[in-house]
Amino acid sequence: MRSAGHLLLALVLVFLIGPFVIICIAGLSGGETLAFPPEGLSLRWVAKVFTVDSFRAAFWLSITLALGSTAVALALGIPAAYALERYNPPGAEVVRNIVTAPIVVPGIIVGLALLRHLVIPLGIPVPVALVIGHTALLIPYAVRVVSGSLVNLRPDIEEAAVMLGASRLQAFFKVVLPNIRAGIMAAFIIGFITSFNQVPVSLFLTGPGVTTLPIDMMFYMEFNYDPSVAALSGLLALMSLGVVMVAEKLLGLSRYV
Amino acid sequence: MFQNRRLGLLLLAPATIFVALGFIVPVLILLSGAFRAEGGWTLGHYLEFFAQPLNREVFLRTFRLGLIVTAVSAVVGYGVAMAVVEAGPKSKGRLVALLVLPLMISPVARTYAWLVILGRTGFVNVFLTDIGLIDSPLRLLFTETAVFIGLIQLFFPLMVLPLISSLENLPRDVIPAARVLGASWPAVFFKVVLPLTKEGLVVGGTLVFVGSLTAYVTPAILGGSKVLMLETLLYQRVSVANDFASAAVIAVILIVMSVATNVLLKRLASVRRSKAEAK
Repeated sequence: MRSAGHLLLALVLVFLIGPFVIICIAGLSGGETLAFPPEGLSLRWVAKVFTVDSFRAAFWLSITLALGSTAVALALGIPAAYALERYNPPGAEVVRNIVTAPIVVPGIIVGLALLRHLVIPLGIPVPVALVIGHTALLIPYAVRVVSGSLVNLRPDIEEAAVMLGASRLQAFFKVVLPNIRAGIMAAFIIGFITSFNQVPVSLFLTGPGVTTLPIDMMFYMEFNYDPSVAALSGLLALMSLGVVMVAEKLLGLSRYV
Repeated sequence: MFQNRRLGLLLLAPATIFVALGFIVPVLILLSGAFRAEGGWTLGHYLEFFAQPLNREVFLRTFRLGLIVTAVSAVVGYGVAMAVVEAGPKSKGRLVALLVLPLMISPVARTYAWLVILGRTGFVNVFLTDIGLIDSPLRLLFTETAVFIGLIQLFFPLMVLPLISSLENLPRDVIPAARVLGASWPAVFFKVVLPLTKEGLVVGGTLVFVGSLTAYVTPAILGGSKVLMLETLLYQRVSVANDFASAAVIAVILIVMSVATNVLLKRLASVRRSKAEAK
């Protein structure tokens, strides 16, 4: 019974992680076309990734978009989570439903709705629409993770700070914020990764010249069968691995997922 | 100290207004397109949509793949979750990290890996040719099986993580107790483990089922235009045919299915629980 469990666990881990090993090896191929096992090993496709202009531009757009929308989502989400946890304002349930609505709407619909009913009629530039779409998607996570940290923080210590002469604002910035720092960082990392990897929301909002990295990769692989997307995928997987390892060391990220 | 409700509302306002104007309003306008025709309201778009055999096929395929992916993840997920929980606290942390890791990696990279494995010159075909089992490469890509494999790899962690936390909360001695009292292994599972962990199953099941219904990247890369699912069909209707009515119909179907799944599964879990408590 026990060894059957171990065997199943091993098989599942191979199924989940194995493809990344394979893609890293395929990205180190020396041949012209994508193949596994590869024809010889070389770094030429890894080097090529850095010379493709559209990858470079898309990478920086994705990074900027992920940082920007995560920051906006937290700036809006932290006060909202704080109000929901501490003030129990009238209509809190309605607000909670509104703020978490983006979770149940498939991303592709969000992108199309923003394109048709925000970008086209109001003339909002595409990058702004991308930030709006990604921020809306991230607000539910920000509110949930920050709420989770606030639940574990007793309200008395804030009250004590106020009684000892701190203003509300000081109490929030000097007492509450440092204590929920881990939750905020976790929300930031989850938000950044979610936005960086996001495809459906961006699908209709991107076009020639303004495109995010995952979408650029999908277009590239439609017309090219060389190993450069494998090399890039391998690099991205290693990047995520690095972020997860650092986050796990610092915060125990798996508690928040 | 926290009695000032106006301050509370003030803090809530920015996020609420942002989501309402930047998200809910545009989405509602889009969805209303599924019920509007020139001059009035109509259900005609639905009739037209389901009159097309291709659309019916895509609808049923999406539903079927969602159910199969959820069922397989649940069955395998219980086995894996039990093995992880039994592994002891130290290796448990590492195993959970390994299960979380794929969730952090770009779905495009994750799905592309299957192209390398299942493609014409991919791992599986090269291997099968080398051992002489096949003469010419099999067509493995752009099949329902390929999409199924991609979806399982993508969503399995979302099933197993809630199951692990449910199983952790299971009192340690209930399984030995049931065994001592003469229950067979299947009886232990269905009468003891399942009822006590169904909350994790419901959370995981909702995430996996809704995730599969609304997946875009996996069917786009591994299914192509041969194996369309609702999201890839939506994209195709808009980008190829500018057919916004069909897009709105698909949008309504997807949202109704994901909201219904959330509500139904949650209710299922709480009804069963109150019955169990009544006993």
